[in-house]
Amino acid sequence: MDGNQPKDKIVADHVSVEYEKDAKNFLAVDDVSMTMQEGEFVVIVGPSGCGKTTFMNTIAGLVRPIQGKVLMDGQEITGPSAERGVVFQQFALFPWKTVYENIEFGLKYRGIGKEQRAEIVQKYVQMVKLEGFENSYPHELSGGMKQRVAIARVYANRPQVLLMDEPFGALDAQTRTIMQEDLSEMFVSEKRTVLFITHSVEEAIYLGDRVVVMTARPGKIKKNIHISEENLVPNRRQMGFDDVINMKEFLALKAEIWSLIKAEILAKHIF
Amino acid sequence: MNRWGERFFALIYQEKIVLSLSSILGFILFWHMLTDVLGLFPPLFLPSPEKVFFTIYEKITVPVGEERLFGHVGISVVRILVGVGIALGLAVPLGILMGWYEDLDSVTSPIIEVLRPIPPIAWIPLAILWFGIGLGSKVFIIAIGAFFPALINTYIGVKFVDVLLIKAAKTLGAKDKDILWEVVLPASVPLIVAGIRISIGVGMMCLVAAELVAASSGLGYLIMLGGDDLKPELSIMGMILIGILGLIADRIILALERKVIYWKKE
Repeated sequence: MDGNQPKDKIVADHVSVEYEKDAKNFLAVDDVSMTMQEGEFVVIVGPSGCGKTTFMNTIAGLVRPIQGKVLMDGQEITGPSAERGVVFQQFALFPWKTVYENIEFGLKYRGIGKEQRAEIVQKYVQMVKLEGFENSYPHELSGGMKQRVAIARVYANRPQVLLMDEPFGALDAQTRTIMQEDLSEMFVSEKRTVLFITHSVEEAIYLGDRVVVMTARPGKIKKNIHISEENLVPNRRQMGFDDVINMKEFLALKAEIWSLIKAEILAKHIF
Repeated sequence: MNRWGERFFALIYQEKIVLSLSSILGFILFWHMLTDVLGLFPPLFLPSPEKVFFTIYEKITVPVGEERLFGHVGISVVRILVGVGIALGLAVPLGILMGWYEDLDSVTSPIIEVLRPIPPIAWIPLAILWFGIGLGSKVFIIAIGAFFPALINTYIGVKFVDVLLIKAAKTLGAKDKDILWEVVLPASVPLIVAGIRISIGVGMMCLVAAELVAASSGLGYLIMLGGDDLKPELSIMGMILIGILGLIADRIILALERKVIYWKKE
């Protein structure tokens, strides 16, 4: 590591979280401990309803754990913050604001002047390839474009940690592939610490430095699988999604991860 | 859209207007048949459309009571505007505060839940006792009627804003005050405007009710006078004008709706 010790960015320390449904409390996350290093891209996969989203909301500060704590840079997380940006599956754009105003939203609360905001917005509009749509309203955009706006909105706000909750789950397959490739590229050009949730094992391997497999509810960590040059290929982030997913090494990883998830689904009869 | 497209839609639009107009003409023709042609109803029971239209024409210049026709219309319009205006001025801010601050909600809700089911007309005796039979009592009744729909809609609009949008705002760094102004209020505008629309409708009903009971002017007074003087054409005249006023009010609020909810899909 050339003496550059990787820094612990997010630490979850024996975290248990409850989830309220129909006035009853369920244990959604059960005693999870996990560390994310600065600049690491961590992907969580697991069966439906395993508490992935609840765990992410805890890191975002939107939910408080009943036990344990989550730290960022050694400080306990007690509420939401602009330092932990969230991209939601359902986009969560402000429908009365244009693309430009949506992306600008967080910047206003960072005390950034109008002119500088315009520069930043323009930069990220280009990054997500939405030039010419600055003055469109969300209802005028396709699903893929909406999610691009949501990603630009969070990126522009420059959070230290990026939390993405199945951001491509609502998109069609082709759009999804393009979004995955673009995100991969963006991650290379602007490295951030990312926690990403998905149902797609392929997406997880393609994007992640590490894939975390969770058990069925209540969610625990079943296994950490590091994706690296040794067990996949160098430079996969610069390669196309379709080129990577048919490689022998990729298929082996996919089979391994899928068998872990499948065992969970079968064991708890959640199909 | 190209020129041909525009022409095509202009044509369809015109056709719609033609259809609407012919349905109104058909209705008047039917009314004419029942009264003048077939004589099924004596004029004292149901006057002919010609008689009603002539009355309207006549009353534009000849006063009824203290006012000419448009004087009565104007008085009613002023009562509505003041009454609904006061109601909205109180209901919308209160609804926002109740939707936003849970403690205030808990304190005010019981009072509102008890007052709300009381029909506005039930307030008429007290209104006359407190405000006399002039502008004050009518405005009071209208304001009472218009208050609750606007309050409830605003409250629901603020209370049930999509939680996801609030979460998104929080994780982008917005504080509570910013979230109220930048997220919650814009998000509840559609329901607030819908509430205003209902309020105006209820306000019109209350106006007529209040003018029927105790007034010497206004459209409700004309309607009542028609009954007292056995001149049903006066009543029908008042009713038609109320209908037209309601239509105009609705069109205005619809246009307003389109203007403020520009961001919603049609």
